[in-house]
Amino acid sequence: MKNVFLLISFLILSVSSVAQAAGGPAIELEKANNNLRDQDSLQRGAILFSNYCMACHSVKYMRYNRIARDIGWSDDEVVAKMAYNQAKVVDDVQTRMLEGVAMDVLGTEPPDLSLMARLKGPDYIYTFLRAYHLDENGNWDNSALKGTSMPNVLEGMQRHYAPEDYEQAARDITNFLEYAGEPGKLDRFDLGWKVIAFLLVLLLLTYLLKREYWRDIKH
Amino acid sequence: MADNQNTKFEAKQGTVLGWLDKRYPLVSTWNEHVGEYYAPKNFNFWYFFGSLALLVLVNQFVTGIWLTMSYKPSAAEAFNSVEYIMRDVEWGWLIRYMHSTGASAFFIVIYLHMMRGLLYGSYKEPRELVWLIGMMLFLVLMAEAFMGYLLPWGQMSYWGAQVIISLFGAIPLIGPDLALWVRGDFIISDATLNRFFALHVIALPLVLLILVFMHIVALHRVGSNNPDGIEIKKVKNEQGLPLDGIPFHPYYSVKDSMGAVFFAILFAFVVFYWPEGGGFFIEPPNFEPANPLKTPEHIAPVWYFTPFYAVLRAVPDKFLGVVAMGAAIMFLFAMPWLDRCKVKSIRYRGLSFKLLLAMFVISFIILGYLGTQPATPTLTVLAQIFTTTYFLFFLILPYTSAREKTKPVPERVK
Repeated sequence: MKNVFLLISFLILSVSSVAQAAGGPAIELEKANNNLRDQDSLQRGAILFSNYCMACHSVKYMRYNRIARDIGWSDDEVVAKMAYNQAKVVDDVQTRMLEGVAMDVLGTEPPDLSLMARLKGPDYIYTFLRAYHLDENGNWDNSALKGTSMPNVLEGMQRHYAPEDYEQAARDITNFLEYAGEPGKLDRFDLGWKVIAFLLVLLLLTYLLKREYWRDIKH
Repeated sequence: MADNQNTKFEAKQGTVLGWLDKRYPLVSTWNEHVGEYYAPKNFNFWYFFGSLALLVLVNQFVTGIWLTMSYKPSAAEAFNSVEYIMRDVEWGWLIRYMHSTGASAFFIVIYLHMMRGLLYGSYKEPRELVWLIGMMLFLVLMAEAFMGYLLPWGQMSYWGAQVIISLFGAIPLIGPDLALWVRGDFIISDATLNRFFALHVIALPLVLLILVFMHIVALHRVGSNNPDGIEIKKVKNEQGLPLDGIPFHPYYSVKDSMGAVFFAILFAFVVFYWPEGGGFFIEPPNFEPANPLKTPEHIAPVWYFTPFYAVLRAVPDKFLGVVAMGAAIMFLFAMPWLDRCKVKSIRYRGLSFKLLLAMFVISFIILGYLGTQPATPTLTVLAQIFTTTYFLFFLILPYTSAREKTKPVPERVK
């Protein structure tokens, strides 16, 4: 019994805690509560991303046709809604900003956002998008990332939308970025339980086989 | 157990097997290592981890080969190619997660396998060589995992490697040149990535394979230990077979199959529903491409290195820290000679050993936790305390084990 306790404590300690070690943001993160299975949200998020983010940012590890297939659009729809028909469906989702402009205007290169949700987590993106406020000099600052070069792109929504609509827009963008971080995530979820169910059956069979063979061992 | 089912093979003349066996020792090898390899009948839970280590090794080989088909070992392309595998390669995400989860699973299995050895005295006469080869396997496995971790070319890959390789630089006189030689450049670069790739996919797996082979051959020469620490070869029947032994096949082959499936369920759960392992199996900063100009705020090695990393940081002097880290591993090699008690299993050993082993395991686990955390003054003091208790295990053991009050060990396995 003592061994089992040792083992359990070993296992728990070897996998629990940490994560917060990776340079956390300055403020408490709000829960994004986004839902990857909500295709309407993903479609809205993709359009919002195109309209508000792609002026500076790319999601270069995504292709338009993959997005279309995954979030329920046709090939024509995806290039119409996300690229004003200026891209081919097989293109990577690149920023519309011309090369070098960002450095001149913002003093920094806006990062590619393909993996931002995996790097920082969806809650961070959701919190960050809504953490803009006016500082004492009347300039926009962000309490999740102080002194960020990124302007408050959702300012219009923040000022004029109903709070819940503004939140939903941030949630939709977050949802799209979580999807873009790992487009196969739902495939993974949907396959996993089938594999585990199969293995449970196999476990039963191997257990019965073992019991049958071990019948003649006295111990 | 002379009435056991015996799966001894005979090669009859005029059959394919007979033809083969005349030219290759097929039947005798099978019999020696499987069909007539007598293992103690009282293996418990801890005895699954040997075969599970083999299973994980196979998993790493197979998934690794498939990853190599799409991975590009260059500083410019490595990160992109991993994302290409995750997104565009058919089943690429599954193969990649099986490999990354497999690395952590390997260390969980190996640490438990080593723990078993400590609990039941499996390193003692006549199994010293089995233990030594196993320790070499552990060393090579750590090198293999370390080099593999650079390949995704993320921020943590890059800076983790930077920190560890710079340790070579702490060695007096030859240090800086040695670090330069290992990197092949003044910083971690394309050259480093390429050589790590070569070592990770060819050189070290080859060494691992040879050592695993030797580990098993050495084990089968002396026979397996068991939770009672009884030598089953001492009591034999009239045919010369150990009375408390049963043939590995079919008894343990069916039992280990069951263990393998049980393990596969836990493994599948992680692969499908928890591949990042809470930031332990895949660290979040590794989703940002390596950037030599931007140091992450907190560099933590992967969890399986953190106990040794904590020892390293606990020592104020860098070179002495490297020495302490090396010693933390090297002392384990010497276990067969540090432990002077004749009784093998913890079941029949005295209180002193039980307390010492508990102290060692707790120290190891806490050091593992501390290695994941930033080195604040308080945590550094804690790391120093538990580094001390870690080493005290090896220093006190030779004295107490020679004087230990043990319980009588039974002649036969119950």
